[in-house]
Amino acid sequence: MDLQLSEEQELIVGMVRRFVRDEILPLELDLDPDADQLAPADSQRLIAKTKEMGLYGLGIPPEFGGPDVDLVTRTLLAIEMAQHRAGLYAPCYGVFGGAGLAQLFEADDAQKEKYLYPTLRGEMRGFFGLTESSGGSDPARAIQTKAVRDGDDWIINGSKIFISGADRADYGLVFARTDPEKGRNGITCFIVETSWPGFHVRRVVHTLRSAHYATELQFEDLRVPHANVLGEVNKGFAIANDRLSRQRIPYAAGCIGVAVKANELALEYAGQRETFGALLSSRQSIQWMLVDNEIDIKTATWLTLEAAAKADRGEPFRKEAAMAKLVASEAGGRVVDRSMQIFGGYGVTKDFPFERWYREMRIRRIGEGPSEVQRHVIARDLLGASLR
Amino acid sequence: MKVLVPVKRVVDANVKVRVKPDNSGIDLTNVKMSVNPFCEIAIEEAVRLKEAGVATEIIAVTVGASNCAEQLRTCLALGADRAILIETDGDTQPLGVAKLLKAVYDNEQPDIVLFGKQSIDGDNSQTGPMFAALAGLSQGTFASKLSVADGKATVIREVDGGLQTVSLSLPVVVTTDLRLNEPRYASLPNIMKAKKKTMDIITPESLGVDVSPTFEVLSVEPPPGRQAGIKVQSVEELVDKLRNEAKVIP
Repeated sequence: MDLQLSEEQELIVGMVRRFVRDEILPLELDLDPDADQLAPADSQRLIAKTKEMGLYGLGIPPEFGGPDVDLVTRTLLAIEMAQHRAGLYAPCYGVFGGAGLAQLFEADDAQKEKYLYPTLRGEMRGFFGLTESSGGSDPARAIQTKAVRDGDDWIINGSKIFISGADRADYGLVFARTDPEKGRNGITCFIVETSWPGFHVRRVVHTLRSAHYATELQFEDLRVPHANVLGEVNKGFAIANDRLSRQRIPYAAGCIGVAVKANELALEYAGQRETFGALLSSRQSIQWMLVDNEIDIKTATWLTLEAAAKADRGEPFRKEAAMAKLVASEAGGRVVDRSMQIFGGYGVTKDFPFERWYREMRIRRIGEGPSEVQRHVIARDLLGASLR
Repeated sequence: MKVLVPVKRVVDANVKVRVKPDNSGIDLTNVKMSVNPFCEIAIEEAVRLKEAGVATEIIAVTVGASNCAEQLRTCLALGADRAILIETDGDTQPLGVAKLLKAVYDNEQPDIVLFGKQSIDGDNSQTGPMFAALAGLSQGTFASKLSVADGKATVIREVDGGLQTVSLSLPVVVTTDLRLNEPRYASLPNIMKAKKKTMDIITPESLGVDVSPTFEVLSVEPPPGRQAGIKVQSVEELVDKLRNEAKVIP
């Protein structure tokens, strides 16, 4: 067993680390503390660089034109790309390209032409509409939005909540109940365009994340052609289950990246700041905080890399991905919290990135399946059928 | 046209270096190492010469311990065609390195030897000029622009207070200044290709060169720490101190 990075991995990771340090950090100094995008000119200039580096579209699978990089290396890069103030929700302000919606990779050819490829080219934006006010972790039971067949169309009525970016999207995936009798097997996924009559963004839901916001959606007799059913009718949940597990790995990597940066800042500061005539770094209480940071980061990193390695080998990795997401989001929160504590009053100012990380990291324990659901996934894997 | 680019492994420019407790040198344990930034500019310039159809082959060469292979691999990923590592664990100094490079020059017969103007660790700025003297070549140091045509190299040099343009006959030695170019990031395909490129490992002995040190470092001291400031009572006192203590105003 070799826990060393390969020579190529070292080089690629080093290159991205340098990119973040030389290109992103200097621009970030002049941005609003809650910014989630660069000035258009900067963005275009940097996208040209990432394209030249062959790393544009890092979230896109190689079979859809993404760079030919394994998931372990992608994870290592995601850890690097998150090491700045906006790193959790806007790593490198998107200059490495977006991934698009995982489910769309399973779309039929016409749907791919119309929605997936324009999204991968950066010409369209999509949203993911699953959660409703009645629940998000257990959508099979919670979904009350209904779709009824009407000739060649479906007519959707209902609402969604906590839907990120729907107000800026061109289309989205909406999960709706198409057979009220069948529970989990009565949900269908529709591709819905935001300009269609009956599609309403009712309001922006303000959250801990001030830059990015969630929306509440309402559908009133929203007419969707049958051609826009993604996958099969009543099989909305079967789509891209594997890809959804896979998404937990970069999600964990983002948390780790921020933790690495927070700890790096704390280590540097502890070696400079004096209290009562001695450096913070000479105080055991501070040393132990830094030690715990290091252990948290290492633990989360190895769990996440193991999940990625298993996925790369084509082995089941559902449990490992759940463990990585759970541990990285919780460890990330602890590391940001301790680092903020070491910085004292400065830690809570907007001059430093801690307060943004502190807010955004709290969401990570809830988004993409809360910690409790991850534990449920792990338990189901351990106990198998006996759990049901 | 062949271009030889000697490079050096140095402490990464972003590392805050610490002097060893016994003042014998810089503490290099667990410190990130990189290609000397000026050498990176030299590699970039060589790659641009190749892209412009002037150069046909770029050879990166370095002198040092086996871990210097990491920096050579970076050079290969940036666009060098092959690399030579002259492996030695000894203390290598500018004159020794210049002699080794002279031996490599004799073997390879490049048309252009592109150096960084200095390394950010030793700051000697000697290896390029010493090499040029040993090889009997003309040199354009501190280059901020280089163009090559008709057997001549035109170099714009950054000199005190201005720029100097010199025309030199090939083969030529050029040392790069900061403004010559902005090095690119290695691309993913090139990083993958770098593994397949040749890296020859040779020794100073095989080149028949004596690299024994010609000087000895007696001690290394960190720069003095900043003195604490004081508060002055009046503008007059401030002006007096600026004039008579700091001597920054007449």
